Amino acid sequence: MLRLDKVSVSYKDTLALKNITIHIQEGQKVALIGPSGAGKTTLLYTLYELEKQHASFVYQDYALVPQLSVFHNVYMGRLDHYHTAYNLFNLLKPQKKEIEKVAPILDSLGMLDTMFKRVGALSGGQQQRAAIARAMFRKVETMFADEPVSSIDPHQAGTVLRLITHATKTVIFSLHSVDLALQFAERIIGMRLGQILFDLPSDQVNDHVLSQLYKPC
Amino acid sequence: MLKTSLLFVSIAFILLFAADLEVTTLNPWQELQRMAIGAVVPDFMAVYAVKEAFLNTVVFAFCGIFLSIFMGSVLAFFFEWKPVRLFCAFIRAVHELFWALIFLPVVGLNPLCGVFAIAVPYTGIFAKVYAEIRQESDHSPLKAFPPHSSRVSQFFYGVLPAIYADIKHYSAYRLECALRSSAILGFVGLPTLGFHLETAFREGLYSEVFAILYCFYFLIASLKYWIKEKVSWIYVVLAFVFISKEVSLSWQNFTRFFTYEILPWPMRRRGVLDGTMDVSFSSDSVWNWGKNILQTEGFDGVWNTIVLTQVVLVGTGVMTLIVFPLVCQHFQQGIPRRCSRYLLIVIRTTPEYILAYAFLQLWGPSMLPAIVAIGLHNGAILGHLTGQNADLIQLRADTPRGKINRYFFEVLPRVYGQFLAFLFYRWEVMMRESAILGILGIYTLGFYIDSAISDDKMDKAVFLILMTALLNMVIDTTSQVIRKRLKISTKLTTSG
Amino acid sequence: MKKWISGCFAIILFSTLAQAQTLSFTAIPDQNTARLEQRFGKVAQYLADILKIDVKYIPVKSYSASVNAFKNDQVQLAWFGGLSGVQARRAVAGSQAIAQGEEDQYFVTYLIAHASTGLQRSDAFPKSIAGKTFTFGSKGSTSGRLMPEYYIRQSFDQAPKSIFKRVGFSGDHSKTIALVQSGSYQVGAVNFKVWERELKEGKIDTSQVQVIWKTPTYVDYNWTVRGDVDKKFGKGFTRKLQNALITMHDKTLLDSFPRKQFIKADNSMYAPILETAMNIGIIEK
Repeated sequence: MLRLDKVSVSYKDTLALKNITIHIQEGQKVALIGPSGAGKTTLLYTLYELEKQHASFVYQDYALVPQLSVFHNVYMGRLDHYHTAYNLFNLLKPQKKEIEKVAPILDSLGMLDTMFKRVGALSGGQQQRAAIARAMFRKVETMFADEPVSSIDPHQAGTVLRLITHATKTVIFSLHSVDLALQFAERIIGMRLGQILFDLPSDQVNDHVLSQLYKPC
Repeated sequence: MLKTSLLFVSIAFILLFAADLEVTTLNPWQELQRMAIGAVVPDFMAVYAVKEAFLNTVVFAFCGIFLSIFMGSVLAFFFEWKPVRLFCAFIRAVHELFWALIFLPVVGLNPLCGVFAIAVPYTGIFAKVYAEIRQESDHSPLKAFPPHSSRVSQFFYGVLPAIYADIKHYSAYRLECALRSSAILGFVGLPTLGFHLETAFREGLYSEVFAILYCFYFLIASLKYWIKEKVSWIYVVLAFVFISKEVSLSWQNFTRFFTYEILPWPMRRRGVLDGTMDVSFSSDSVWNWGKNILQTEGFDGVWNTIVLTQVVLVGTGVMTLIVFPLVCQHFQQGIPRRCSRYLLIVIRTTPEYILAYAFLQLWGPSMLPAIVAIGLHNGAILGHLTGQNADLIQLRADTPRGKINRYFFEVLPRVYGQFLAFLFYRWEVMMRESAILGILGIYTLGFYIDSAISDDKMDKAVFLILMTALLNMVIDTTSQVIRKRLKISTKLTTSG
Repeated sequence: MKKWISGCFAIILFSTLAQAQTLSFTAIPDQNTARLEQRFGKVAQYLADILKIDVKYIPVKSYSASVNAFKNDQVQLAWFGGLSGVQARRAVAGSQAIAQGEEDQYFVTYLIAHASTGLQRSDAFPKSIAGKTFTFGSKGSTSGRLMPEYYIRQSFDQAPKSIFKRVGFSGDHSKTIALVQSGSYQVGAVNFKVWERELKEGKIDTSQVQVIWKTPTYVDYNWTVRGDVDKKFGKGFTRKLQNALITMHDKTLLDSFPRKQFIKADNSMYAPILETAMNIGIIEK
């Protein structure tokens, strides 16, 4: 279980999170929604810090190494599971055993043909999927994802989110699209100006709360 | 920026009166004529006779650069640690010729001397540059690494791939520098090209001089065609196998030098005179020994080195500002631009030591040949870089049509900051060169170091070399402070 | 990989073993250095034939390099100048001077001057050279620096730097002659043997440059050998070597030095050189 009790976070002079209390049970799929600057990313980071060992994170800027292949970037997700020497060996010559583990994940994301392409040479959407593949390859029970489908076209976005929510037990992700959030999360947290505006099961989210969330300042 | 520039120009102007600029040869034009004839009719048979020196030049450079890349990479990991930073600043503050002069008595005339002389200062340079490249690189992928992955794995997966291209580029550029260094090591007696160049110069055999130089240019120009990343390790292995045939290292000489010969004379005096070779210490006599060196030679050498450096700094600046339009697309196009570019490449490929030697033959010993040689060499490098920078600027739509107006009112103001950054970056390099040219008979620190070595007083030589290194580190720091204050910076990998 | 490393060690070992059987020698580069290897190669061949061992000549660029090579046991035998010989023998215990050229017993240095100075030959030291530009030979040379500096200091009681308008070090005697002849320097100090040989070869234009003074005589060049050669090459090797040198009569060989012939020498003959060097501070006391 992840829990924050009355937590505030500030960067320099600005308060990014104000007095947040949140409990997340194992197995929940939670979506954070709200306008830009609401503190969604900060909240994700703060929660991630609690569970770092057993969680993976999909960054908004992907945080990939553009000079390496998709395979190596995905492999990085389990760098801590292998001996250093094996890691180096695998860097020089991708090991068959690892390729076999990475391939199905990439396949499910429609990325199998890019396995040995340099990440820097891929499109934004492909890079984002590579970042997701890395988080999935980590094979942990909790995943945090910051706008994981921002560069993926709406049609594929659904597929990708379905994949994430099925493969991982607990998923907490932020999204711009309310529709996708309602579709793939069972619990929706609406954030505004560093505070939690509402925290509801997805079937109780209505137009009224949403208009409160997105109304102009 | 203007204030700083004017300050430096006026310092140089005042020092110019203290500098000795006399042309002492009675008939410099006659010698120049003979040089010109040599340049037109090179004697390539002479090159065949020195083919071994060619091989040695390449081999020393390869071994030296390999060792320094290795050592430099290791030290770069600890560069945040102040003692390492100081150590690196020190070893690169001493010119490779001085290192050769130190290693000559230690390892003798064998390939190791040349390899070490290149490897030691280059290690300091690589450590610094590699560390800076790493600092400037994109660190964002590191946050995505699993929290307990080993630092080594993190480095190889997250850092090295990002900086590899820069490192490769810079190391290749340094290989070219190492070849130049290797060539001039011959001037102090190692069996590289400089050995034969010196002989040929000394005896006025200019056809031989130019044949050797032309082949040297060809060697450097052809580097990119035969140095490929995948095969370079083969060259390194071959180079090490080649030198291993002649290498001999006596530990005894090593310890004798570092634990005995470089001790100040008063500490060894009694032992030498009574034949026991014992060491004794009295702070008074050592203090007097040091004071005496400073008063009779040290201060004079430092003064002359500073005079030469400051004059050359401004001279290089002026030369840069004159030549960069010749290679800049906003002023020149087509064949003239290409020709000036090749000319600059040839000038900067010629080691400044050889340029200085040539001018010395023409004009006799004074500061003039040194000023012209260092100014030309550095001016060619900076002119090329500033020209490249100027090429990048987008001219305003209403840019002046006349070239002179365009130069002064558009291009110069826009590249001036970068130009100053480059110039101050090379300040320390110029000082190192000014010191070393003393070996050719100008009374800078190099002259006194060479004299001490010639008198077989290694204690004094090492003392003076330490002073040179200290002066160099002071200038390096001053340059950093000035660059920071003027808020000008330059990407280090391009300014060498 | 292991094989490769051990191979490398084998090569290094083998080469050092091979070197142990070779006598290496060097000579100070006191004159034109071009084709030195050719000239001294013949001397090496001569020694090899008589001594029945491998003899190798190692070229050096400076006087100090020859001294250092001797110190480091890279050469076991060297043709030194008076000063470099003293420096070398002081650094290597047991080493001894075994031969010198016949002329080296009464060596002299010439002061030479460019015609434009108007200086004439005199028997007394020419004090009028003060204020002129002056070049020595190599910094480590006896005839090109030590002795002339000694007499200059004696006459003026001042260091050369404060006597002359400009002081240079040409590097070798041939260059000194060339520099004074071309007027780059007005006055210079030169080894009399090199001067006379170049005069004979017609390289000197006496309308441009002339001898104005010669120093009193002193002892100069010498063959010096390390003290441990007997251990290395067999008992009595030093004596055999000395014999080989003083029985060298082939004129083409002797011309490399250039000397009429070699005669026996010993360390004590060079005591005055040591004293002079200490006197002007080249060797510390």
